[in-house]
Amino acid sequence: MRQCVVLGLGIFGASIAKTLAEKGCQVLAIDEDEEKVKEISDIVTQAVQADATDEKALRALGVDKMDVAIVSTGEDMEASILITLLMKEFGIKTIVSKAVSPSHGTVLRKVGATRVIFPERDTGVRVAKSLAAPDILEHISLSPEYSILEVHAPKSFIGRSLKEIDVRAKHGVDIIAIKKKLPYLTDTGESDFKEEILITPKADEEIADGDILVVLGDNKNIDKLRSL
Amino acid sequence: MVQDEKKDFKNLEAKIARIKDRKQKVEKLIELGKFYFLNEKYDEAIEKFKEASKIDEKNAEIYYNLGIVYESKNLPDEASRMYTKALELNPGHQLASKHLEKIVGK
Repeated sequence: MRQCVVLGLGIFGASIAKTLAEKGCQVLAIDEDEEKVKEISDIVTQAVQADATDEKALRALGVDKMDVAIVSTGEDMEASILITLLMKEFGIKTIVSKAVSPSHGTVLRKVGATRVIFPERDTGVRVAKSLAAPDILEHISLSPEYSILEVHAPKSFIGRSLKEIDVRAKHGVDIIAIKKKLPYLTDTGESDFKEEILITPKADEEIADGDILVVLGDNKNIDKLRSL
Repeated sequence: MVQDEKKDFKNLEAKIARIKDRKQKVEKLIELGKFYFLNEKYDEAIEKFKEASKIDEKNAEIYYNLGIVYESKNLPDEASRMYTKALELNPGHQLASKHLEKIVGK
């Protein structure tokens, strides 16, 4: 089990700590603010109120034995640089640090961060992309030519099976998964739906209204598919 | 005097019957809408729920159902408008607030 320490429990740090704990990692969460520590104490393995720049306190907590450190005290640049440096000195292999500006990121990399995250910049890019192409829900670029994309099923596909659509032959792409919504009624008779993902769907699988296709292929072919 | 009272009573009875009829109509349309929704016939479901909303404009349940169908069709903007309307009419509608939070973000 991976042992992770999260230093700084703002919105970014707290959500990382929470998700890591949910994924089964052992999480030590540290912040100076008692309230923030209290809020997360039931979710993570251990939550401690401490000064994350205090080397002695960190060693006493066993931070130097961790596999992963997340330095999420971005707004306080001086502290985040100092803590990243401390993590490097502790010999932690994976150090993820949050940066608020490119120059901050450069310094963090120099003092030992193995990965620098720019949450604001990255979110900005993601939001702009989703506004520019609302049908694309996720985009993983495999190379300049190839991508994996999550797109809404084109209208002309609805009610037809994968075999009938035959995207590989007709469009030169592969549908590697389908995200489906399964309507049901709750115990009290109210409408709701469950989400299900079909990995490597079978040829007789029918595309339904509202399905999301996970498509792998050449960018040009994927663009053609999107315009259907 | 007695005649007048009798007339009033008849009017009232007719009014109640009309309300009952209206209520039954709405219930039937909601039931039909849910049936289409469960069978993934989203456009037909929307039609039924919209018809129901024309008869009963202040029914949160109808707008919640429209939200669910729009969300199932990957139309988040329409869905969030419907959930918002459902919550205006019934602020305690838990499923509507759960779905709205998912779309808009907490």
